[in-house]
Amino acid sequence: MPDERAADAGGPDDPGERDRPVRRVRAAVERHSLPALAAGTLALLVVVFYYPVATVFVDAVVVEGRATLRVFAGILTDPFYLGELARLLAGEPPLAVVESALSPDRRLGIVGFTAYQAALSTVVSVAVGVPLAYLLARYEFPGRRTIRSLTILPFVLPSIMVAVGFFATFGANGTLNAALGAVGLGPIDLLPSLEAIVIAHAFYNAPLVARITTAAWESVDASAVETARSLGAGPFRAFRDVVWPQVYPAVLMSAALTFVFTFGTFPIVLALGGFELATIEVFVYGLIGDLQYAEGAALALVELAISLSLLYGYLRYEAAHTVRSGGARPQERRPLRPPSWSVRELLPRVGLAVYAAVALVLFVAPIASMVYASLSGPDGLTLAHYRFLLERQATGAAFQVRPWPAVRNSLLFGVAALAVALPMGVVVSVLTTRDYRGRELVDTVAMAPLSVSGIVVGLGLLRGLVFGVDVGGYRLAVGGALAIVAAHAVAGYPFVVRVVAPGLASLDRRLVESARALGAPRARALLDVELPLVWPAVVAGAAFAFALSVGEFSSTAVLASGTGQYTMPIAIERFIGRRLGPATAMGVVLLVVTSGSFLLIDRLAGDRVGL
Amino acid sequence: MNRRKFLTAAGGAATVALAGCTFGSNPGTSGGTDTLVVGTYSSLIDSPSSSPGAWLKSAFEDEFDVDLVWQTPSNELNHYIQRQQAGVDIEADLYLGLNPDDLVRVDRELDEELFAAAGDVEGRSDIKPGLEFDPQERAVPYDTGYISLVFDGTEMTAPETFEGLLAEEMRGDLIAQNPGSSATGRAFLLHTIKQFGADGYLDYWADLQDNEVQVLGSWSDAYGAWSNGEAPMVVSYSTDQVFADQEGADLAEHQIRFLNDQGYANPEGMAVFADADQPDAARQFMSFCLRPEIQGEIAVRNVQFPATESAELPEDYAELAREPPEPVTFTYEELQGNVSGWIDDWERQFASN
Repeated sequence: MPDERAADAGGPDDPGERDRPVRRVRAAVERHSLPALAAGTLALLVVVFYYPVATVFVDAVVVEGRATLRVFAGILTDPFYLGELARLLAGEPPLAVVESALSPDRRLGIVGFTAYQAALSTVVSVAVGVPLAYLLARYEFPGRRTIRSLTILPFVLPSIMVAVGFFATFGANGTLNAALGAVGLGPIDLLPSLEAIVIAHAFYNAPLVARITTAAWESVDASAVETARSLGAGPFRAFRDVVWPQVYPAVLMSAALTFVFTFGTFPIVLALGGFELATIEVFVYGLIGDLQYAEGAALALVELAISLSLLYGYLRYEAAHTVRSGGARPQERRPLRPPSWSVRELLPRVGLAVYAAVALVLFVAPIASMVYASLSGPDGLTLAHYRFLLERQATGAAFQVRPWPAVRNSLLFGVAALAVALPMGVVVSVLTTRDYRGRELVDTVAMAPLSVSGIVVGLGLLRGLVFGVDVGGYRLAVGGALAIVAAHAVAGYPFVVRVVAPGLASLDRRLVESARALGAPRARALLDVELPLVWPAVVAGAAFAFALSVGEFSSTAVLASGTGQYTMPIAIERFIGRRLGPATAMGVVLLVVTSGSFLLIDRLAGDRVGL
Repeated sequence: MNRRKFLTAAGGAATVALAGCTFGSNPGTSGGTDTLVVGTYSSLIDSPSSSPGAWLKSAFEDEFDVDLVWQTPSNELNHYIQRQQAGVDIEADLYLGLNPDDLVRVDRELDEELFAAAGDVEGRSDIKPGLEFDPQERAVPYDTGYISLVFDGTEMTAPETFEGLLAEEMRGDLIAQNPGSSATGRAFLLHTIKQFGADGYLDYWADLQDNEVQVLGSWSDAYGAWSNGEAPMVVSYSTDQVFADQEGADLAEHQIRFLNDQGYANPEGMAVFADADQPDAARQFMSFCLRPEIQGEIAVRNVQFPATESAELPEDYAELAREPPEPVTFTYEELQGNVSGWIDDWERQFASN
């Protein structure tokens, strides 16, 4: 707890002789902790990410022992993948290509279509997420903290559960059409379609936008707003000139993340959209699943290049547009119940009410449908699916997946991954908010785990870690619980970085400099001065790291060795049979356990610490 | 029914089609007893409805002095192919659940043998002749499924021929699966190739696409959408009514249609790994699986059809589990060198943006 830390560090009491060696050791630890953590982070990244992933990407350029760009060239000049752009790369005259690109029957190609649906998904996710951030950051109402804690819940839901909820909510015979029918409208045929994919992506990513933006909004310094107001700025003007400049980097960041995620999307597309809407990742999975590594890896590299260029572009922009702020005192939240019945008070609240209705349909209805699915059988309501879980727990064979070990492992891996990812993320945040040439490049490289295709990571881990490497006649192989935690931490720390770094960058440098001038080592200045000031972001980052671990499926499945290392998503996967009932019941267990965990994380972290 | 591809299916929750994990205790020997490690797909041992794994293990161990250890890597057979490619030891002795197209992939990817010839396996002569699919006689079939249409008879009547699916009144009525990642989707695609030839199937699919066929990712994606009433017909297994009956569902809503009176057969085989530690125990297990009473039990518990003529099945089994008047399938030789290309061409046509 940072407040305890502050108390125990700030105390100049008891400068007794006997404490001197302890203090010397502590000082040494503090002096060297940041470089040591940085080195550890790098080592972990190399072992569980860069090396394994590189082994797969090598397949794209080394075919049958010879280096070649043939596979790449094949993809880049194939209109099936790159649309009209491929014809340009194939050497056709630019004018003819531009002409056909402007014609109505132009081809986007798989890559173009993937980018198109990702752009749509990003716009919708931001449109849904930002109002939620506004509500959570600026209004006080009962249950606000609970809702804020639960915002990232969709993040951990396996796509099969989301598909179940979406079919029950937006399907031909779903709740939405029943409701529309009751008021004489509809029915609408939403599934399967591009719209369904975009809405499902908003279901996953709007909470991400909301959580990141809320953290930034809560860090806006109230005194700056008050100064603006006292200088005669109206509330709108104060918002535009003081609040927005500190909030919109977070919106842009979360938009960039949403684009990267939806660019690499795959199971949702095939569950709710169908093969006609296949994305790049669908083909990467198909090719690697058919063991066609060269094409698969080359396509994944094209995908990675696009995602990383976007992130790099964003990070350059972020570095150039940092808004410095003291970030000391948060703004007061307004009560949700209007204090007076004036238009100015009512208008935003009416807007929020409309928003709440939309959010209810988008977020609550699918989740409620999942819960309902877990409770229904052919003859109405039943507890049979939960009974299955109990029976499996009681009588399942040793080689079968049982519910309780899955819950226990998910929690253990989640907490351990959080404990590793949080320091990693903070250290990388510090490293990437210093000023040096090429820092955006370092930042982009550190963000790579976000944008590498899931199947490439899985295959890399399998070949690089599980099968092992021959070193001097010994085969070094890594698997099991520690490897799972390491992989989860590597996948989760970029979130910590992306929420914490902008806050750190925007802090007034003089705060750190004063602390350093007073003799505090860098690590202590970070712990005592900087982190408390960006605490909402640290908590949000912690929640993301935990959520990512709990929801993670592929690397867990690859790295688990022997019995007893399966998690809740794996149990859900195993319990899918002809009836989805047992899987949905396990999904509800996942919902309950993770909701409890998110509430606990936020509760333990405190609503706000600071000066 | 064959549930294997729920998990490798590239759609649905199967977010990884290529991951190796081992559930089951680590192989080794315990107390002087031999350990037989059998690799298989996870729903064989772990499905919520019924799965033969636990029963097979205890029945086999009761009779033989062998510990049977199940190994279920999440990318199934690919796991062993990849181990072989990487030059890493294969810890399993036997693989259970091998399709003809799996075998084609094995032979395409590997120069050295992954599997040994089956040799003398007692009971092999009882296998239905049409089901043997390995020209090199490594894989021994132990059961088979048939792919068919399942339709809601209270809403419509399914057409009787492939051409019938193109009729205007069938517009938007069929849900199929991605042949690249789903066993049912692949079987249905292969059936259309059987019907229209390698030169004609793409035209047929273009017409099918014009008639708004929906192709979802995995069998569970498709079946879930069908159960939710998205469309009245789905590509599935001809054993559908067995499950529907177990759940007490209305069988009128679970009607089976064999297009052109044919069902695409999807035999599953078992094969001994070439460098198995326990080749004798593995062969013992294979002939155990072919015994009449075990064949019947596997068929009932896996909800598939037995591979042998001599299987002892419950009398009412055939009432709900339907066999097509004419089973069709591609041989190993016909699939070899063709199946990937057929699927690639289909994908390129169907997903063209």
